[in-house]
Amino acid sequence: MADGKALKIIIAGEGGQGVQSIGELLAEAAFQAGKQALYIPNFGVEQRGGVSVAYVQISDEEIGAPKFLKADLLTVLSKRSAERTKGYLKPGTIYLYEQSALEAPVIDDRAVGIQGYETVAPEAFAKMVGDKAGKPATPPAAPALRPIGIRAAQTAKAELTPRVFNIIVLGAITKLIKVLPPAGVKEAIAKKFRAKFRENPELEELNFQAFAKGLTMIEAEGMQ
Amino acid sequence: MKEVVRKGCTVFSDHGPAFGWDGGLLRKGGRVIKETQLTGEYGAVLEKEQRSFMTGNEVVAWAALAAEADFMYGYPITPQNEIMHYWSRLAPHFGRGFLQTEDEMAAGFAMLGGALVGKKTFCATAGPGNILMQEPIAMAEMMQIPGVWIIQQRGGPSTATVIYSQQELRLTTAGGNGEGLRIVYSTASHQELFEYTIKAFNRAWQYRFPTFVLGDGYQAKLREAVTLFRPAAKGWTLIPAEPLVRGPGIPALDREPVHLRNTFNIEEELYARLEEQLAAYERLTPEVVEWEVEVGPETEVLLVAHGIVARAAKQAQKMLNQQGQKVGYFRPITVRPFPGTALRQAVGANPNLRLLVVESAYGQLLSMVKAELYGLTNPIDTLLKPGVGVTAEEIVATVTKRAPKEVCHGG
Repeated sequence: MADGKALKIIIAGEGGQGVQSIGELLAEAAFQAGKQALYIPNFGVEQRGGVSVAYVQISDEEIGAPKFLKADLLTVLSKRSAERTKGYLKPGTIYLYEQSALEAPVIDDRAVGIQGYETVAPEAFAKMVGDKAGKPATPPAAPALRPIGIRAAQTAKAELTPRVFNIIVLGAITKLIKVLPPAGVKEAIAKKFRAKFRENPELEELNFQAFAKGLTMIEAEGMQ
Repeated sequence: MKEVVRKGCTVFSDHGPAFGWDGGLLRKGGRVIKETQLTGEYGAVLEKEQRSFMTGNEVVAWAALAAEADFMYGYPITPQNEIMHYWSRLAPHFGRGFLQTEDEMAAGFAMLGGALVGKKTFCATAGPGNILMQEPIAMAEMMQIPGVWIIQQRGGPSTATVIYSQQELRLTTAGGNGEGLRIVYSTASHQELFEYTIKAFNRAWQYRFPTFVLGDGYQAKLREAVTLFRPAAKGWTLIPAEPLVRGPGIPALDREPVHLRNTFNIEEELYARLEEQLAAYERLTPEVVEWEVEVGPETEVLLVAHGIVARAAKQAQKMLNQQGQKVGYFRPITVRPFPGTALRQAVGANPNLRLLVVESAYGQLLSMVKAELYGLTNPIDTLLKPGVGVTAEEIVATVTKRAPKEVCHGG
């Protein structure tokens, strides 16, 4: 961002993993920090499941097109979404990926078509994040890629609650991009989930803990 | 030459509606509409001129509120649904209304009914909904009943995608079975969505031609910063809606009777009516037409784009100029009427200038550009991506590929 260009971020995962919330919170925090920010979700005809991609740009100058060809930071939270977004890699892209030996719950696109509105809502799937054991993901073999693996799903499941999985990832992204004050991102979390936190104050604490874990996760991995 | 030609929100001219009841209102220089008390939590947002971060659909709902719109009729279609959602959340707080009709045609005709009795009505639609809407829009055109349509373009043809395109340019500017006597603003940012939606209401009720804000799925769904305000705070006068029929006085005694027709018995009758309308449209064109241009005698490539693609073009222009290339930029803000004179001026002086027309459609903007430049011999390159977004990087690559190879000076 030092050269005035926009920082380009993609977060990709399964519907229900909270990908769009991460995008929205990053952009909101950037806006509150006085930066130019733009967030756009991808969305298909399907109302349930599928791969979900969020595009975020943060800049000190006016932002042009809402989408872009290459990402500075690509976050992938599932196998399918990694496949779908590999075209956004360029030399130097930070590749943040989930490497818990836990499989993200995948909603079968074909099944969605058959089941229509009776398909389970993504929110319900969120509770199941990381329930199934699988093979840990590995970064793709791309030139000059800067891969950073985190175990957000495992941490969420073992230490907090699977529902705050995406907030751990948000913490990790915040730490990696370095352009947003963590306190500002925390404020964005509090603002977005105000109603939910009022209902359930315990949830607020869990989210803040998750965010803090995400921040320290990057240091702990020593991969910065 | 670097200029942005935007017109004020209110234009008081003698070129009001060609016929119908207008109470002499516009010719007297207009009148400030009675302002609704925009109080409470929602009102404060406009009052404080807060810089907010929201989606484009949300922005449109706020703009309609600020423009004193009375009623929205609608039928759900992605990507415009949240305009209905936000409007129906905001409207009851301010005594405004919303009705979901059985389809887009019904929504369009209900709008016309609302306008006839003096309500500011609007609607939002997209894609196949925009097609169905053409019938009531054509009627509005024929009878010169005002209305504002927000179009959030999606992929086409047919259901295609719910995401994005610029494929409804032709339909929105020239749909219907007539001459496309409409005013269409193609916006490129949330700030423009807000301001041009307000302006669209003024234009519609001033000129009584169907007026459109042509957005797209990206603008509908993306979040970015916008400053909302009350039009009065910027000195913008809102043109009030008055009943088009049943005005004061006894028809034929105190005033001319109002006879809004969409049926004519003989060809000549229709022709006479259309001649009046076409003349009225010709007169409003210079008052309404808006554009953005950056071009100089050195310019080698002129990027031409509208709507959100113009943002990518502007970004690309900056990147290319930083590389030392001589690239200009032209963006029609009104795509109907089209700023043809301005485009011709930007191009015409320089026979070596190449154009690069960029759009998320397969030549809809291109055909407009070509029509305006008839007779000139400037080469036109294209980057046409129907139903897909265009990035600045792609535009840069297209221009670079085209750039002439370095000339060796006497080595």
